[in-house]
Amino acid sequence: MIHRFFRHIKEGFYGVGRHLGMALSSATAVMITLVLISLFLILTVNLFEMTRTIEESISISALIQKGAESSHEQIESKILMIEGVKSVDYRSREDEFNYYLETQTSDDLKDFYNTYRDVNPFRANILVEIEDGGMLQGIKAQIEKIDGIDEVADGGANTYTLIGILSNVRIFGGALVLSLCILAIYLVYNTIKITIASRSDEIWIMRHVGAKNGYIRAPFLVEGVIIGFLGSILPILISVFGYIYVYKKIGGSFFGAFVLLPPHPFILYIAGILVAIGVIVGFVGSYISVCKYLRMKR
Amino acid sequence: MIEIKNVSKTYDNGTHALYNINLEINAEEFVYIVGSTGSGKSTLIKLLDGEEVPTDGDVIVNDVNVGKLKFKKVPLYRRNVGVVFQDYRLLPRKTVFENVAYALEVIDAPKDVLRKRVREVLKLVDIADKSNAFPDELSGGQQQRVAIARAIANRPKILIADEPTGNLDPRKSDEIISLLEKINREEKTTILIVTHDTEIVKNHPKRMIMIESGHIVADLPKGANV
Repeated sequence: MIHRFFRHIKEGFYGVGRHLGMALSSATAVMITLVLISLFLILTVNLFEMTRTIEESISISALIQKGAESSHEQIESKILMIEGVKSVDYRSREDEFNYYLETQTSDDLKDFYNTYRDVNPFRANILVEIEDGGMLQGIKAQIEKIDGIDEVADGGANTYTLIGILSNVRIFGGALVLSLCILAIYLVYNTIKITIASRSDEIWIMRHVGAKNGYIRAPFLVEGVIIGFLGSILPILISVFGYIYVYKKIGGSFFGAFVLLPPHPFILYIAGILVAIGVIVGFVGSYISVCKYLRMKR
Repeated sequence: MIEIKNVSKTYDNGTHALYNINLEINAEEFVYIVGSTGSGKSTLIKLLDGEEVPTDGDVIVNDVNVGKLKFKKVPLYRRNVGVVFQDYRLLPRKTVFENVAYALEVIDAPKDVLRKRVREVLKLVDIADKSNAFPDELSGGQQQRVAIARAIANRPKILIADEPTGNLDPRKSDEIISLLEKINREEKTTILIVTHDTEIVKNHPKRMIMIESGHIVADLPKGANV
């Protein structure tokens, strides 16, 4: 069994060597595809992280009607029962007033505002943290219906637009990575198809001496994996060094707002994913090709 | 051993290759199948080695209904049927020894058994002295000997030779037929030779089945006048 395994590996390398030009051109095609995959993967994962951070920081401020402050605990428990609500935090009028004073940098101003403590213009409110930005509108509508709630503030239309854009970018990035994977599979599939055609005599001999399909298939699968692996080397180097360079160059964030994931360990995961994608597309492309050929003939 | 019952074969493109063929071949028999080009000989071989399935009827070899074999079982069946072709079909980058060993490697024969059997068959086909040579270093007759050695390496019960002498001169052709007779005798292998070479049929008389336009037109026992 082990002997057979190594024979298939040897035959796979032998096959790559025999069709070196074809194998290299296919590996190059896979390489270009993997560079694009890597680029979109890095962008998508970073955008995903940014979206998650933004979505996590989205909160709703439910302003309590004057006179209803005493029943805030009931309101809080009603809000907590709404699906998608993570936590609630009650802030009394005094809390809000104190918080406002704390935000003032000048002591003179603090003293001046403090004289208005008796006519405190702030309203008591409940700060509601939600689990998912996509649920924002629904939760807001439900809170508005609760008795004792005066008004619900959520940052307005801009928040919805941002969440919508980020979500679409994420879906688009994911779809693009998937499409590029399919393209890479197709490229390997075609190379192995040509390899098979040039080795049809050998396959014929194998079949007529009683080789099972698995035995015939194995060296071609090894070949596909080798092509995929070769195609992933350069994209890994470009991704690792390119990301580290860009990260250092921009100081870890775009315009100080969009923070990139630190290179370690993120880019190592990307490198691992690229090898895995390379090997898998090589295997799958080759598998489809050789199976199709073997199915055509008994 | 081989039973062909009411077999017809029509290809997908509409070509009728065989019409209601009936045939029985016993174990250890040596049979010629003769006929002109397009007569249906090759289709008959393809049905016997499981490459094609009959449109109607049954092809039964050693109690196995070949046409009804599941796709996955075909390789196992083929281990009992050796095939030799006019163009030898040897692997050019492998030596004589490796070419023959290949047939045993694919069925996972243990290494010691493999070496012993390869040496044995190379001796049987009288090409042992060339075991390290590559196919392009051999004459046509020698290459056909290697192809025969490969076909019988895993001791198939049936050996089908499709025009085995097609590329050889009369003397070499005679030698190859003598070799197949030897295999029939010593290895107890049923031999089916598809040919249109009347000389070898005359010089090595055996049972002869004649096919024309998809029909068996004659089934002559050994020694009958051609």
